[in-house]
Amino acid sequence: MIELPVIDAASPAVGDPKQHFWRSLQDLRQDPHFKRLGHEEFMPGASDAPGGSSRRHFLQLMGASMALAGLTGCRRPVELTLPYSRKPEEIIPGIPLFYATAMPFRGVLSGLLVQSFEGRPTKVEGNPDHPVSQGASGLFEQASVLNLYDPDRSKHVLHDGNEASWGDFVAFCQGFLAQAATRKVAVLCEQTSSPTLNALRGRLAQVYPQLRWVTYAAEGDDPSRMGMQEAFGMALRPSYRFESAEVIVSLDADFLSPVDRNFVANTRGYAASRRMTSPQDDISRLYVVESTYTVTGGTADNRLRLRSSQIPAFAAALAVRLGVEGVQGVGAEFIDHPYVQAMERDLLRAGSNGVVLAGETQPASVHALCMAINKRLSSIGNTVFLYETNEEVKPAQAEQLQQLVFDMSNGSVDALLMIGVNPVYDMPGEIDFAGALQRVPTTIHLGTHQDETAAASGWHIPLTHYLEAWGDGRAYDGTLSVIQPLIAPLHDGKSEIELLHTFATGLDVSGYDLVREQWRTVLQGDFEMAWKKVIHDGFLPNSGFAAVDPALRPVSGASPYTIGGDEIEVVFRLDNKVLAGSFSNNAWCQELPDPATKVVWDNVALMSPATADRLGLEVPYDKGMHYADVVEIAAAGGAVQLPIWILPGHADNSVTVTLGYGRQIVSHRPERITNFFDTDDKTDIYGKGAVATGVGVNVTSLRTPGAMRIATGATVRKVSSGYLVATTQDHGYMEGRPFYRMATVDTYREDPGFAADAIKTLPGGEPWTDYPALWQERHPTTEPALKDNPYHAYQWGMVIDLNTCTGCNACVVACQSENNIQVVGKDQVSRGRELSWLRMDRYFVSEAGQEANPKMVMQPVMCMHCENAPCESVCPVAATVHSPDGTNQMIYNRCIGTRYCANNCPYKVRRFNFYNWSKTLPLEVHMVQNPNVTVRSRGVMEKCSFCIQRVRQANIRTSLENRAIQDGEVKTACQQACPAGAIVFGNINDPNSHVSKARQDNRRYEMLAELSTKPRTSYLGRVMNPNPELEAATA
Amino acid sequence: MSKPATTHGEGLHVDPPLITGNLSFRDITNMVSLHTEKKTPLAWYAAFGFASSIAGLLLIMIAYLVWNGTGVWGLNNPVGWGWAIVNFVFWVGIGHAGTLISAILFLFRQKWRTSINRAAEAMTLFAVICALVFPGIHVGRIWAAYWMLPIPNQMDMWPQFKSPLLWDVFAVSSYFMVSLVFWYVGLIPDLATLRDRTRKVWRHKVLSFFSMGWTGANRHWRNYEKTYLILAALATPLVLSVHSVVSFDFAVSVVPGWHTTIFPPYFVAGAIFSGFAMVVTLMVISRKVYGIENLITITHLEKMNIIILVTGTMVGFAYITEFFIAWYSGVPYEFYAFLNRATGPYAWAYWTMMSCNLLFPQFFWIKKLRRSIPFMFVTSIIVNIGMWFERFVITVISLHRDYMPSAWDYYSPTFVDVFTFVGTFGLFLTLFLLFLRWVPMVAIAEVKGVMPEADPHHYDEHHGDGHAGHAAPQVTPGGH
Repeated sequence: MIELPVIDAASPAVGDPKQHFWRSLQDLRQDPHFKRLGHEEFMPGASDAPGGSSRRHFLQLMGASMALAGLTGCRRPVELTLPYSRKPEEIIPGIPLFYATAMPFRGVLSGLLVQSFEGRPTKVEGNPDHPVSQGASGLFEQASVLNLYDPDRSKHVLHDGNEASWGDFVAFCQGFLAQAATRKVAVLCEQTSSPTLNALRGRLAQVYPQLRWVTYAAEGDDPSRMGMQEAFGMALRPSYRFESAEVIVSLDADFLSPVDRNFVANTRGYAASRRMTSPQDDISRLYVVESTYTVTGGTADNRLRLRSSQIPAFAAALAVRLGVEGVQGVGAEFIDHPYVQAMERDLLRAGSNGVVLAGETQPASVHALCMAINKRLSSIGNTVFLYETNEEVKPAQAEQLQQLVFDMSNGSVDALLMIGVNPVYDMPGEIDFAGALQRVPTTIHLGTHQDETAAASGWHIPLTHYLEAWGDGRAYDGTLSVIQPLIAPLHDGKSEIELLHTFATGLDVSGYDLVREQWRTVLQGDFEMAWKKVIHDGFLPNSGFAAVDPALRPVSGASPYTIGGDEIEVVFRLDNKVLAGSFSNNAWCQELPDPATKVVWDNVALMSPATADRLGLEVPYDKGMHYADVVEIAAAGGAVQLPIWILPGHADNSVTVTLGYGRQIVSHRPERITNFFDTDDKTDIYGKGAVATGVGVNVTSLRTPGAMRIATGATVRKVSSGYLVATTQDHGYMEGRPFYRMATVDTYREDPGFAADAIKTLPGGEPWTDYPALWQERHPTTEPALKDNPYHAYQWGMVIDLNTCTGCNACVVACQSENNIQVVGKDQVSRGRELSWLRMDRYFVSEAGQEANPKMVMQPVMCMHCENAPCESVCPVAATVHSPDGTNQMIYNRCIGTRYCANNCPYKVRRFNFYNWSKTLPLEVHMVQNPNVTVRSRGVMEKCSFCIQRVRQANIRTSLENRAIQDGEVKTACQQACPAGAIVFGNINDPNSHVSKARQDNRRYEMLAELSTKPRTSYLGRVMNPNPELEAATA
Repeated sequence: MSKPATTHGEGLHVDPPLITGNLSFRDITNMVSLHTEKKTPLAWYAAFGFASSIAGLLLIMIAYLVWNGTGVWGLNNPVGWGWAIVNFVFWVGIGHAGTLISAILFLFRQKWRTSINRAAEAMTLFAVICALVFPGIHVGRIWAAYWMLPIPNQMDMWPQFKSPLLWDVFAVSSYFMVSLVFWYVGLIPDLATLRDRTRKVWRHKVLSFFSMGWTGANRHWRNYEKTYLILAALATPLVLSVHSVVSFDFAVSVVPGWHTTIFPPYFVAGAIFSGFAMVVTLMVISRKVYGIENLITITHLEKMNIIILVTGTMVGFAYITEFFIAWYSGVPYEFYAFLNRATGPYAWAYWTMMSCNLLFPQFFWIKKLRRSIPFMFVTSIIVNIGMWFERFVITVISLHRDYMPSAWDYYSPTFVDVFTFVGTFGLFLTLFLLFLRWVPMVAIAEVKGVMPEADPHHYDEHHGDGHAGHAAPQVTPGGH
């Protein structure tokens, strides 16, 4: 493509802003007609593109998306529609294209491959070539595509609350620039890894010499980064190689949670250390010390529940035991704690294969201490890698913020730019940010929604979604990527770099040019070739950070907390579903059950049963509904009221709350009002304004700038009761039924068939396998109609390895995204009508006397695709039948909705459409739906199809190419997302396929095999590796 | 049994007369026909207005359901069947008594049936109509419910014959059709009687049409009796089959608490139990209101109460048996299902069922109580409450906690569930009131047939006067 110098004729030239270049007298006069002519190469109207973007801009976008594909979708520009009378290259209607891009997530990028149907992105997958994602993704990546089509996204530039245009803002910037040298400009921006943005920051600093740049995160400082600064004196980024770890000690580190910035790599590494192919394999041992039950705690072999504020003292004791010098704040009660002793012995035994890591709730000192321990164990360079990020040494956020807000209130800030942040909502309670904001003459907010901050700002600019705008950044390991848009901005959005560039120069330059400009300094050799390769691959190979092993500074590990007795701490965590609020307007995330509590559409104050007892709190269960007590929690920052939830295994005297709820997002969609006889208004989750508005409680006011993660000395007081909390799983115990089968390593070695042995015989001792299935003779799949079908050669099956599954929920959202599963809202979930095809069953397992400290296990359950499917024989209209390739399929067209199949499904995986959920969906949300999957209407049953649309696509593709489907060529959505590789899917007719091999595993079992359903989905029993010494010590 | 009035010869066992009050044939004709001929009483209008407005409620509830979707009911994911199916089984069960009375008792020569069979059969039809409302509306896509029928179509797509729901469609619809024909055939002589009594032109025309030219000729009677016998023989297996098939809906499944081989006989016994209770409820009222206590005597009611006692005990025995088998099978899921019935969140429903069905009918061992009108009236209602709960216990309690504890939930009905059920009573009453108004509520011809005058044989030849007034015609097998 021809590179043209980008200059906007209507704007002054780049360079000294005092020197004004003009072309004619009209130009000098700023004649509006001339300005308009200057914008357009041709006469007015001739080249107008929608949304005010220029023709050139449009062409650039087109060219850059390599094959007009990105722009030929349902948002085709009206004037430039490309009729399909001549097919655009590469586009075959109905056949998706995949583009590599990347999603910014908490300051790092996730490498992605995004599916696009005729220009409409519908599904996000991990980029298989990307060194971090390697094809896997987490729930936030999966859910992010719905954020693109969020109907409540901000659609217009606002100035003082009135609709304005981007041109107005550009003009404003140009005016503002006139006195740039004297302007006291402050920027509040999220942590970013974007080279372009960082370059623009430099440029901004040149233009505005008094620029102040504050990196802001709602959750607070990144304690890991601060800890590295403390331990090594520079900004290092630790990366853990759990695949080579033998002993892992997690101090409140939820490293297997999708909230973690390196979640995919952590989970993959951890899964590798837990994978077993024979009883002789060694697996790692995971110790977790944590206050609440997390995904990581659920996978732990030995888990200690401890108040988060006591963990520093625990860490110090462990450090002292391991010979770290100069440690202070050792908890006397922990120095001889059986866990500390066990960890010490195990870590010393493991040596450099041991690793200790701290979580986000822990102060920097604990992170530094962990590094001291790792150093002591010589783990650095083996299980811990320290990346040299070359970032500045960051001061603590609290000091910067307090100074900024102080200056704002003083009127010594002229302009405040809030880039992608929402400080009015998430600033800690002690800081009156909204008040200070009123004192700033110019406030500019760039955000995806008309949220709390937008309402309080002078200017509000809609922020683009990452699938709409060009950008760049680095993955957790430093790998550089370009963020490639798949669709032109749906609304008048601008990206961070576009806004900053305009603010710095007064020029309206496209993000594409900015990123390319920046990458000219990054790429070597032929730029066009290298650029195309980066765009195509989605990342720049070998651009990761270098790992270093610097000398350790003395660390004290002093705990900032003193807590004792039954003093109550409040721990603030990023929500497992909505983070700090960036996903709260995402209905998939709101309806995703929390991994531990299974609560949806609410944030709750988690506490242990003993603490709830002590405080006289309860969550009565009545007629299928949980009615929680509502408490007022008061801490240093303020007080909030929210419902409680009692979580077994939670630390006593600790309360966990999550951020990201209680949002106030402005929605311009009309409220749905229906006739009295119509229930649409009650069932439409989009009908009452923004999805997030009114959901949960904002707990940020409990915090103080100095205590962003843990507030000690809190008081909890019951204020009312009877608050309905919706959960997807009412019953947490397995009732002694062998659905989830697990054993210790020793048991497994003694009895390799432990999983299958759990149900060996019928009552009375006869093996149930002696009884042939009812339809053994003339089994439907041996009937000619099926047998002679070409699909019959493939018999699909699935194996789920419970050893590596952590229950992170990535598969649940992936399934929702792939299969157009609708969201039903809190009321309907509380009535038991959620539609998720894949549910994550969570059970608490405890031995007698250990009820306060149960294990938490996770089991993904979807349709088992029984060979003798009980659902099929009861359907009166043959709407659920067996496919020739051995899967059980729903024929939606044929289904009349008797619900008999669901009654007769022993696994209860069938979901009924009680209402017409897609009828009330806003138009934008319809766009996220996968065109290859039927959108179900009211009154039909639905369930997991083994992603039959993907299977059929492969069937068609391979039959055209006249070859067989290879193993691994078809991946189900859940399998593809799973970072642990716990789900294996394939052809069980092929003895060499992965799934056939997995089916040979001696840990394999089928759920309810004694019913002779012959499920095609089977599980591999979990093997735990608890420390026997510890078991003996605590017994 | 009281001693027969007169007995001659060993082993001759004579029942007390079935029809009391020393009525003549004409009295009976008048007594029954009158109610279809006289000016409609105001009370009938009041009752009809009340019943039909409740039936209107049913229509409103159905319209609301069709407009919005099955979500207006209380169903959820583990509990796919709730009140709709409970009500369906309940009404089908109610319908059982009619056919049993008319067909099986006919074959067994239980002559006392003649006084109640007409009303009981009508009740059967109306109960089955009420029942048939539910399979139609309980499906998610009501407009496609007809796909359950084997209608030839361009797709060559047949229903799925392995599904018990399909068997249900056939069983209930054939039951309904045979019951209707049986009822109608039985009506023909009586319709002719009404036709012959009327002077009104239109009434005459309509009755002429429906009485099919009946003249009471000997040949007519011969054909009629043959037809009636054949239909009785056809209907008899249906009495047993229809509820057996309904029970297959449950028994054929894999759900613990449903998957039980005892279900067919247990369901049939339960159906007869509830059906007879319903007949008692209705007859106690009708005989009083319409002054036909001499036709439907206390002895008739007592006989029905005995059947209630017997079938209630059978049902109770089944409850205990399935509990025992649940334990004896050693299948933990099965045992839990039953334990959960008795001790789980729906224990109140289980114990309601147990006390209503097992306990209360046992009072009928006492003759005084089974001949007591107030007591039998209350008990018959209690029995039907208990039988409704039996279906609720089976359907809902089994479903709400089956195999996977993670999927367990609770089911609560909504106002739509409740009013739909209430509405079916309106429909039932509306139809029954129409029946009482337009159709002879007692089988006139058949009742006459069991009166002594109808059987002018000389059992006691030595003292006979040509009439059998002194000796009942009933001869037991051990007689002569």
